[in-house]
Amino acid sequence: MRNRYKLFIISILVLLGAACSSITQEIKPEELFAIPANFPKPVYDFAKNPITQSGFELGRELFYEGDLSRDGTISCAECHSQASGFTHHGHDVSHGIDNLRGIRNAPPIQNMAFQKEFFWDGGVFDLDLFSIAPIENPVEMDEKLGNVLEKLRKKEKYATLFQKAYGSKEITTERFLKALSQFMNSLVSANSRYDKYVRKEVGGTLTEEELAGMEIFKQKCASCHSGELFTDQSYRNNGLAVYNVEDTGRHRITQKDSDKYKFKVPSLRNVEITGPYMHDGRFYTLEAVLRHYNESVLDVPTLDPSLKNGQKLGIQTTADEQKKLIAFLKTLTDNEFLKNKRFAAP
Amino acid sequence: MKNISKLFLAIFATVSIISCQKEEEIGPNDKNSVILEFDNRIGDQKLVLGATKAKNAAGEEFTVTKLNYFVSNIALKKENGEVVKFPDQYFLVRQSDANSLNITLKDVPAANYTGLTYTIGVDSLKSISDVSQRTGVLDPASYGSDNMYWSWNSGYIFFKMEGTSPAIPANMMGMTEYQFHIGGFGGRTAVTPNNLKTLNFTFGEAATVRKDIAPAIHIINDITKVFSAKNKISIATSYMIHAPAAGTVIAENYAQSFIVDHVHNDKD
Repeated sequence: MRNRYKLFIISILVLLGAACSSITQEIKPEELFAIPANFPKPVYDFAKNPITQSGFELGRELFYEGDLSRDGTISCAECHSQASGFTHHGHDVSHGIDNLRGIRNAPPIQNMAFQKEFFWDGGVFDLDLFSIAPIENPVEMDEKLGNVLEKLRKKEKYATLFQKAYGSKEITTERFLKALSQFMNSLVSANSRYDKYVRKEVGGTLTEEELAGMEIFKQKCASCHSGELFTDQSYRNNGLAVYNVEDTGRHRITQKDSDKYKFKVPSLRNVEITGPYMHDGRFYTLEAVLRHYNESVLDVPTLDPSLKNGQKLGIQTTADEQKKLIAFLKTLTDNEFLKNKRFAAP
Repeated sequence: MKNISKLFLAIFATVSIISCQKEEEIGPNDKNSVILEFDNRIGDQKLVLGATKAKNAAGEEFTVTKLNYFVSNIALKKENGEVVKFPDQYFLVRQSDANSLNITLKDVPAANYTGLTYTIGVDSLKSISDVSQRTGVLDPASYGSDNMYWSWNSGYIFFKMEGTSPAIPANMMGMTEYQFHIGGFGGRTAVTPNNLKTLNFTFGEAATVRKDIAPAIHIINDITKVFSAKNKISIATSYMIHAPAAGTVIAENYAQSFIVDHVHNDKD
């Protein structure tokens, strides 16, 4: 009995502590989201949607919910599966509802809180507005947001989950979208061997080959794949042959000719297992990507100036350098993230 | 008795003076509604969705099957130049929903109004606002199959007009449809096309808001001008418009398609 009392006191203290610290630091609780020591500040405004355990659980349920799609077959996880860094492994472009195909490769869902804009063209500027796009895209989930909410209202489990997360059963656009944001924001990948190396943590040892690869990376790749997110989040044309004239990339959003065929520089975290690569998934291996930069960059009107520096277009690397680069890139694989049961289907 | 009748007379006189004043002057707290009545027409014809046929300036026959637009940032101007704003009020006019054609502005201070301003679209501040600010007609879940929100390029469709025209080359299904979806608030993280249009009107006949008068401002929107008010549009060549830059010519046209025709100042 006495122990129970003690436990009670302790939990009260813990709760108080948590409550107080949430005043000084908005991002709480830490077990669901924390800024990794080597990361920049998040872009997402957590003050308007703090992550809670019950909000995260609701978001996870929704992420794995087939009823987000018109016929109940396609959940978010269909094209964003955890084991593949929340991408659609092996698919150049994803198959959505009725086996229809999109035009772009499904990007990983990771470190979302640190991103300014979403999609290959940056068409969505707020994570809370992101989920509407795949739901309403005719080749992805082909559903109407209003219908999704109606379907959820008919399922008893959501009455309980929304009650827990928000204090009432009411299912609104805001609650729905923000719960999905809570789950996505919790998907932080920052425990790769590389991370442990830079943070000088246990397990953070890189081989000589990987270290040599890192040096080459810094010289030849890090101007675009910069910082700890391994992207400067800019839009660039990397000289790919245009396979789909219609998909003009960033130009679709800004409608400036100078943005034609520019796509967002992707993060390279978990790059080993998030292939195929490029906005349309045209390269199945990292070797193919490096070969492109080595020999097939095209001199197109909006080609990125950084690919015109040398005598030859692109980024030249020797076979030995390529081997080292790829060895380094594989140190960005974060198995703790890829295998974390908390992110798996509930 | 005499005194009493004097008193009575005095009271009567006072009361009548007060009531006379009331008739002529406006009490400081007097308020009433103002109704903006949107009357969408095709030239000199009534607009019946899917039925009315007309020709545009290019001589192309067309019908209208759908007409929706957002009205926001409404302001009324008093005779003395003072402006009364109605911030954070967003309305969606849908030709298919008769109730939506009348916009009611509540608690308008009593005065004589001779000017009106409104925006066709959803201003940039609201367009980038948190999802908690997107309720009512701004709730992306509220549109059903008649969508007024671009999810792939975050922003509202300000003005949507669809219909048919024999001038359009038939597609595989044999359909000759046009779709004008106009949006673009200027962008949040990059400068993108801005098709927000703010319209200003002055009218000779004042809308006289009184405790017992809720004026109705009758606005006529002539759809034929959407094809030609400023830029001449040919449906045969421009029939699928779904992106902001392409929509600019149409936005510039509908910015001039509305007129304030007359004002009703009927007593309640």
